[in-house]
Amino acid sequence: MFVVTACRPADPDLVKIVSSLPRTGSAKHQSDTLVRGIRMAIEEAEGRVGPFRVEYLDLDDSTAAAGQWTSEAEAANARRALQDPDVCAYIGTFNSGAAKVSMPILNLGDLLMVSPANTAVGLTKPGMGTPGEPEVYRPTGRRNYARVVPADDLQGPMAADWAVRRGVKKVYILDDNEVYGKGIADLFDERCRELGVEVLGHDSIDAKAQEFKSLMASVKATKPDLVYFGGTTQSKGGQLAKDMTAAGVGAILMVPDGCMEQVFIDSAGAANLEGRCFVTFGGLPPAKLTGKGGEFVQRYREKHGELPEAYAVYGYEAARVALHAIATAGSKDRRAITDAALGIRDFDGALGHWGFDENGDTTMRTLTVNIVRNGKFEFEEVLHEADLVAEPAASAGATPAP
Amino acid sequence: MTLAVLAVAPLCLPALGGALGGQVTTLFIYCILALGLNVMVGYTGLVHLGIASFFGIGAYLLAILTVPMYPFQIGFLPATAVAVLATAGIGLALGAPTLRLRGDYLAIVTLGFGEVAKVTLRNLEQITGGMKGLNPVPPPGAGVTIGGLDLGKEFAIDPRWFYYLALASLAGVVLLMRRLEGSRLGRALVAVREDELAAQAMGISATKVKLSAFAMSSAVAGLAGCLYAASLSTTADPNAYDFNRSIMVLCAVILGGLGSIPGTLLGVAILVGFDTVLAPWADSWIQQWNINPTGSSLLSFSGWRLAIFGLALVLVMRYRPAGLIPSRRMAAELHDAPEGH
Amino acid sequence: MSAQFFLQQCLIGLTNGALIALVALGYTMVYGIIGLINFAHGDLIMLGACLALSIVGALGLAAVDPAVTWVAIAGLVLVCGLACGSLNVAVDRIVYKPLRNAPKLAPLVSAIGVSFIFMNIGLFWLGSADRSFPELLPSDNVLPDDWGLQFTQKDRLVVLIVVPLMVALSILVRWTKLGKAMRAVSQDPTAAALVGVDVDRVIAATFFIGGFLGGAASVVYSLYINTIGFQMGFQNGLYAFTAAVLGGIGSIPGAVLGGVVIGLVRALASAYVGERWTGAIVFAILIVILVFRPEGLLGRRVREKV
Repeated sequence: MFVVTACRPADPDLVKIVSSLPRTGSAKHQSDTLVRGIRMAIEEAEGRVGPFRVEYLDLDDSTAAAGQWTSEAEAANARRALQDPDVCAYIGTFNSGAAKVSMPILNLGDLLMVSPANTAVGLTKPGMGTPGEPEVYRPTGRRNYARVVPADDLQGPMAADWAVRRGVKKVYILDDNEVYGKGIADLFDERCRELGVEVLGHDSIDAKAQEFKSLMASVKATKPDLVYFGGTTQSKGGQLAKDMTAAGVGAILMVPDGCMEQVFIDSAGAANLEGRCFVTFGGLPPAKLTGKGGEFVQRYREKHGELPEAYAVYGYEAARVALHAIATAGSKDRRAITDAALGIRDFDGALGHWGFDENGDTTMRTLTVNIVRNGKFEFEEVLHEADLVAEPAASAGATPAP
Repeated sequence: MTLAVLAVAPLCLPALGGALGGQVTTLFIYCILALGLNVMVGYTGLVHLGIASFFGIGAYLLAILTVPMYPFQIGFLPATAVAVLATAGIGLALGAPTLRLRGDYLAIVTLGFGEVAKVTLRNLEQITGGMKGLNPVPPPGAGVTIGGLDLGKEFAIDPRWFYYLALASLAGVVLLMRRLEGSRLGRALVAVREDELAAQAMGISATKVKLSAFAMSSAVAGLAGCLYAASLSTTADPNAYDFNRSIMVLCAVILGGLGSIPGTLLGVAILVGFDTVLAPWADSWIQQWNINPTGSSLLSFSGWRLAIFGLALVLVMRYRPAGLIPSRRMAAELHDAPEGH
Repeated sequence: MSAQFFLQQCLIGLTNGALIALVALGYTMVYGIIGLINFAHGDLIMLGACLALSIVGALGLAAVDPAVTWVAIAGLVLVCGLACGSLNVAVDRIVYKPLRNAPKLAPLVSAIGVSFIFMNIGLFWLGSADRSFPELLPSDNVLPDDWGLQFTQKDRLVVLIVVPLMVALSILVRWTKLGKAMRAVSQDPTAAALVGVDVDRVIAATFFIGGFLGGAASVVYSLYINTIGFQMGFQNGLYAFTAAVLGGIGSIPGAVLGGVVIGLVRALASAYVGERWTGAIVFAILIVILVFRPEGLLGRRVREKV
C-alpha cells in the first residue's frame, strides 16, 4: 500500500499541503479548530493555486497509546512529507517540542514548514533558547521554518508588565513543566523579578496529576495577589483554577494563550474564573478581528454555527501563507516555495498586515489581555510593546524585542 | 531468510528507504527493546513494568556522552558501549535489593522505578534538559570519514543507514538471545521461572540468575535506547519513556508468546506497526477518499484506534492465551495442569 | 511553616487517601480472589463518571434544592455502583473467565485490552477534552473559621461516603456467608470448591462488589475533583493499584491503609518538597517500604510452595 503511493512519480498538476497536528488525545479540540481553519483557506482558494490542484492531508502526530504527540509519529510524518514529491508545504506543529523533531528533518529537503501554534523562543531566535538553538534545527544551514504566531518572548514579560500596572505586588508562579508552559513561566518569572515584584514561589505541576489541592493550600499560605500558570488547557489549567477556588485562594489568575479556548472555561467551570481570570493572547481575539480576519470569522460562523476558537485563524493564516508561497513560486520547487514564504514582508492577512522577519517570526506583535466574563472570553485591552513599564536600569539586556 | 529480505528490501524499493524506512527502523528498535524485556518476563518469569525507563536511561546516557552541550562528545560506538554497561549497572542496582520480592510486588517496584526515573529526568533540568530533552544527538559516525564518505552526513541524510544499523543491531541481539537460550545461564533462567525452589535444590543460585536477567534485560533495553536517541537525533522528552511505553512493550512480548524470539518480534510488529504504520495509513486513506467529509470522530480510524487495539489484545489472549507463536516449552506447559495461585 | 499548615496538608492527604483507598479496594478484592491485576478498574471508574455526568445533565441535578442534593448523590452512588458492578461482572464473564487456566499473564494483557476499549467508549462519550463536572456541592468551609483550616462540603462528602462503604465491606467480608466463601476461594479455590463453595458465583460476586465500590468512587471522584476525562482512569488506577500493593495486595485493611499512606505522602511531599517531585517521592517511598516489608504493610507472608 505504502509502496504504491510512495513510488508514484510526482503528479505535475497536484500540490499537497500536509499538516501535522495532535489529532488524538487531549489536544484534539484545538487541532480540530486549526484544521477547520486550514480547510477553509483551501476551500476559499477553490482547491487551486496557480496551475495546481491542491490536496490537503491531515496527519496526526499523536498516537492512541500515548494520547498526545510523540516524537516518532512527528518524525514519521516529517519523513513521509519529505518523501512525497507532491508535498509543497508542511503546516505544523502544534507543540513546540514536536517542532524540534521535525524541523531538522524537513530542513534537509528545504520543505516549507509553517507553524500556526509554536511559541517556544528557541525555535527561531538566536541566543534566546538553549545554546546552539536555532542552528541545530537547520542542518543544511538554510532556513525553512516560519510561524504566524508571536513567540513567547513577548507574551511572558508583557504579562508581568501588565500585572505591575494593575498593582500586583506578590505573585506565585506555576507551570506545567513542558517546553511551552515552562518557557513562558520562566520569562514571566524573570520579568517579575526585574520589575521588583515579589515571586513567592515557582513550582511545576505534573500535567497528569488529577488535583492540586495540596499545592493550592501551599499557594494560599503565601497570600499572593496573582497566580500565574504557564501551561495549557491540556496540562490541567482548568483543574488548577478549580482547586484554587476550593482552597480559598483569593488571588487573580493569569494564563497564557495556551488556555485561550472555550474548553478551558468549560473545564475550569465558568464560575471559578468569572472576573478573576486573565488570558494573554498573541493577536486579537476572533470577535475583534476586522478586514480579512473579520470575513473569516463571519464565514466560519456560517459554516460551523459557532464563533471560531482563537487558534482557528492561525490555521487559516498558516495555510494562506503556504498557498501564497506556492503561487508566488509558480512551481513545485521546494526551495523556491520556502524562499517565497520566508520572503513575505507585507502580508494582507486575517491577522492584519504583517510579515516575517529574518528569523521567520511574524512581525505582528500585538498582544491582548482578555478576561473571563459570563463564561466567555471578553476582550479587555491591547498591550503594545511601547506600554512596557519604564525599564529598571539593570535589566536592559533582557528587553524582549531583539 | 527474513533477514535477507529485510536487508535487500530498501535497495530494491528506494521509497522504502524513506518514509516507511524511518518507521521500520523504529520498529526494529522496539524489537530490540522487547527482546530485552523478554529475558526478564519470558525466560525468567519476572514481570517488569518499567522497561521503558531503562530504554530512556540508555537514550539519555548516550545523549550526555555525545551532545555538544557536554564536554565528552565521544563517538557513537564508545558512547553506546558505556551507556549499555551503565544501564546494566543501574538494572543491577535496582534488582539487588528487590529480588526477594514475589512476582507482583516486584512488578510494582519496577513500575515505581519507572515513575521515579521519569520524574527525575524531567526535573533535573540542568542535566537532562527537562522537557526539552537533550539534542541534537549527532548521528553515528559523525566526523568519521571512510574513503571520502562522510559517515555522519550520510546517516543524517539517508535513512537507509539507520535502517541497516538498526537491522544489524537487531540481528546481533537475536543471535545473542539464541545463544542464551541454549546456554547454561539460559536454562537456569527457565529453571528459576518454572520452580525456584527446585532450581535452588539443583544447585542454581536463584539470586545470581535473577540478577543476570535484570542486568541483561536492562543492557539490551539501554542499547535500544541508544539507537532510539540517535535515530531521532534527540532524547525526546521524558514522557516518551513512561508507563504507557512499558505496557505496550510488555503487551507485545506476551501477545507474541512469552520466551519466544519470533513471537516477540511478531508481537512488536503487530502492536507498534498498528500505531505507527497502519493507523496513520488508514486515516489518510479515509481522508483521500473523502469518506468522512464532516470530520466526525466516529468515522475516522483514529477515533476507533483504542478500541481496535484493545479488542485485538482481548481476542488474541482469548484464543491464543500462550501468545501467537508460543515458545515450545510454554506450549507444552499449557497442556499440563495449571499451577494454583 | 506552621503547625496549622501541616494539619491542613494532612487533612487534604487523608481526604485524598480515602478516595484512593476506595479505588484500591477494587484492585485488591479482584487480586485476592483470582490473582489478576485488573488494569481496567481505573477505566471502569471513568465510565462510571461518564454515566454520573450524563445522569446529572439529563435530570438537571445541578440546579436542585440543597435538601434534595444529598438524596440525589445517594441515588447517583447507587446507580453508578450497580452499573459498574454489573459491567465488571459482564467483563469477567466474557473476557477473564475463559482464561482462568491460561498462563498468568494472559488475563493481564486482556485487562489492558479491556482498559483500552473502555477508554475508547469514554472518548466517544465525553469527547477528547476534559469535562467539568457540575458542582453539586459548594466549596464552603464546614469547620469554624477560627481554626484556620479549610475542609469543605466536598471534602466532607468523601468521608461521608467512603467510611460507611468500608465499614459495610468489612462486615460483609468478615461476618456473612458470602464473605467467608470469598476468603475461602482466595486462599485455595480448589479446596473451597471441594467443600461446596460455588467458586464461579463467588468470583462474580467479588467482581460485582469491586465494581460497585468503583462506581461509588466514580461519583465521589466526580463531585470532589469536578473534572472528568477519558484518560482519568490511568492515573486513578496507578495510585490506587500502588496503594493496594503497598498495603499488601489481597488484604482489605491493607488497601485502606495503603490509600491513606499514599494520600498523606502526596500531600506532604507537595507541601514540603515541591509539587514537581510528588510522583517520584510516592514511588520512591513505595520501593523503600517494599524492600523492608516485601509483602506490603499488612500483607500475609506467603510461604513458598514446596
